[in-house]
Amino acid sequence: MTGKTQNADPPNEGTVAVGDKGRTAQPRVGGGSPAWRLDLLAVIPGLRWLVKRRWLQFAVVFPNLVFFYLFLIAGVFGSPVGNRNIIIIFVWILWWFLLITLMVPFASRVWCTVCPFPFFGEWLQRGALIGTRVGKPGVGRNRMFGLNLRWPKALSNIWLQNFGFLGLCTFSVALVTRPIVSVFVLGGLFVVATILHLVFRQRAFCNYVCPVSGFLSLYSMTSMLEVRSKEAEVCSKCADKGCLAGNESGWGCPWFMYPSRMDRNNYCGLCTECLKTCPYDNMTLRLRPFCSDTRIKGYDESWKAFIMLTLALAYSMTLLGPWATIKDWANASETGQWGGFALYAASLWMSALCILPGVFFGSVWLGRLLGGGAPKPLKDLFLGWSYTLVPLGLLAWIAFSFPLIFVNGSYIISVLSDPMGRGWDLLGTADFKWTPYHPELLAWIQVPLLGIGLFFALRTGYRFAQSRFGSTRSSILGFSPLAVLLTAIACGFLRLFVG
Amino acid sequence: MSRSELLRWGAGVLVVLASTVIGAWMPRASGPPQVRRIEVKARQYAYDPPTIEVNQGDTVRLKLTSQDVVHGFYLEAYDLQATIMPQSPYVEVSRPSRPEEKPEKLEEVEFVADRTGKFRYRCSHTCGTMHPFMSGELVVKPNRLLGGGVGAFAGMLIAGCLLACVLGNGSGEAAVANSGRSPHAIP
Ligand code: SF4
Ligand code: SF4
Ligand code: SF4
Ligand SMILES: [Cu+2]
Repeated sequence: MTGKTQNADPPNEGTVAVGDKGRTAQPRVGGGSPAWRLDLLAVIPGLRWLVKRRWLQFAVVFPNLVFFYLFLIAGVFGSPVGNRNIIIIFVWILWWFLLITLMVPFASRVWCTVCPFPFFGEWLQRGALIGTRVGKPGVGRNRMFGLNLRWPKALSNIWLQNFGFLGLCTFSVALVTRPIVSVFVLGGLFVVATILHLVFRQRAFCNYVCPVSGFLSLYSMTSMLEVRSKEAEVCSKCADKGCLAGNESGWGCPWFMYPSRMDRNNYCGLCTECLKTCPYDNMTLRLRPFCSDTRIKGYDESWKAFIMLTLALAYSMTLLGPWATIKDWANASETGQWGGFALYAASLWMSALCILPGVFFGSVWLGRLLGGGAPKPLKDLFLGWSYTLVPLGLLAWIAFSFPLIFVNGSYIISVLSDPMGRGWDLLGTADFKWTPYHPELLAWIQVPLLGIGLFFALRTGYRFAQSRFGSTRSSILGFSPLAVLLTAIACGFLRLFVG
Repeated sequence: MSRSELLRWGAGVLVVLASTVIGAWMPRASGPPQVRRIEVKARQYAYDPPTIEVNQGDTVRLKLTSQDVVHGFYLEAYDLQATIMPQSPYVEVSRPSRPEEKPEKLEEVEFVADRTGKFRYRCSHTCGTMHPFMSGELVVKPNRLLGGGVGAFAGMLIAGCLLACVLGNGSGEAAVANSGRSPHAIP
């Protein structure tokens, strides 16, 4: 297997003994009642049948592929005005909103289940759209075409995605307002994905290159859905290991996971292969409490959290804020203020890569000092606590995204009738006027959302402190600098949204 | 949920609520109600001034002008919509809640700032690439939502601290015992 050794890492939470009705209990760090799990395959009629269908992924990806193809055509031949072109409205308003407010928190990486970008690459790799193949040459027991190279070890992390995403987001104003730029970026994703699938094995593109993947992996840690194995006992006696190596029923995990040992959502693309390959039906889909995966495993993941939080802040200022100068700088391709743009880009990169991590490090360092006790490794504290930025960042993004749909959602109705902005009127709604939907209520949604983010940040941060400092007193003292920082960040967003 | 857990949640929620109320009560208007006349200049893709601060009860008169193309002015919560023509002393004012009414030609738009908080005015006339993000802010003081929000967030910090102190005894040791490699880990 290529890729990170994430599979071999010890699980950070206990795996479960499964009860009859699918509801199970797990020991939880920090005391309190045990966390629950609900086996969805056991309780939702027909779901087990559905996820076992080989055609399932094709059936959801293909329509999506057709839509994206049409969006790209509209982007090339349609109106250059963003709010009249379906590619802008559907991708950056509708898709983005659904992704960040529903899919990620409630259904983990379900976007990756339906995502069309790897469609051609994976098809070429497998030589099949629906069926499976066994034999050589290939990966595991599956026969696969292409070079099937291993992804370089040095790049087996999400740094590439960190820099790629930050780079892309530096030009976000052009990206979200100009159809042709979206065409180049989205079309480029198809091209790069296809090429990389031919060179490297399986979903190397998804795991290590796709710019969307970075934040999906990070924020899916909070998600209420997980794919996990049911009984460790069954796996340890299992000789087939189809979930890993593939077999006649399906492909070995395309995401380089060892599904039976998976303990975090991060790099599971919810492709449902392991649900098909396991001969003992020992893999399942479960509902679980929000913020159940809490272990950040490397600096690459911590920095993803810093980058995402910084971007949420930056977008709230450039896109939602009222300040002309920042808008002019960020929009340099139109205003020509490239000097200002350089300043804007530099402050964005500095904040995301140095300033926020620096302030964060300061509070971790101070916390270690205040918490006292036996000296603790700074790296362990830094990584562990950096998880607090995951719920806070996700909820800040959700709060940022609500105005997009509340204010500009009516464009969806007009653009459906005139997708290219060329004066068509397919459904008779082309002239539907821009009508914000109760924008005055947004603030009342955003404040509780930020509150939820802060709540989970404080709770997970304190629990981690307990696990490292032991006594209540030193846990509180140790966590206090970071807790204050988190609260201050939440108040900063509050100021931008309602202040 | 056990009794003690219920109590703990109850106590936490009470602290946060109390702190929210205090936070919401703190902000004050900066003076008695008055008539304010403000000139707002629209251009691609922002308004000058970006933020208008008034007190609750103020009568606000806005003189809207455009420095380049046709822009709009859609003030949320105040049912006010204006179309701003460049080089015209008049704006066309309408009420979004009454689309059947004909827009009025006026030199100024006027409204009484009776709702407190932050409200955005947005461009409602497609004016270029960044049009969907063209907006400004009207802040009507006292901003109770901001105060309440800050109060709530601070309250969460305080509540967490208190509850950890009051109820945390003992659980710390259990946490340490649980923190390492889980006993249930798969080999
Ligand atoms: S990682 Fe990226 S390309 Fe791969 S399935 Fe997910 S969104 Fe699509
Ligand atoms: S194939 Fe099934 S039983 Fe075997 S290791 Fe994988 S999940 Fe466990
Ligand atoms: S095979 Fe299983 S573990 Fe691997 S990506 Fe698909 S659903 Fe996730
Ligand atoms: Cu405008």
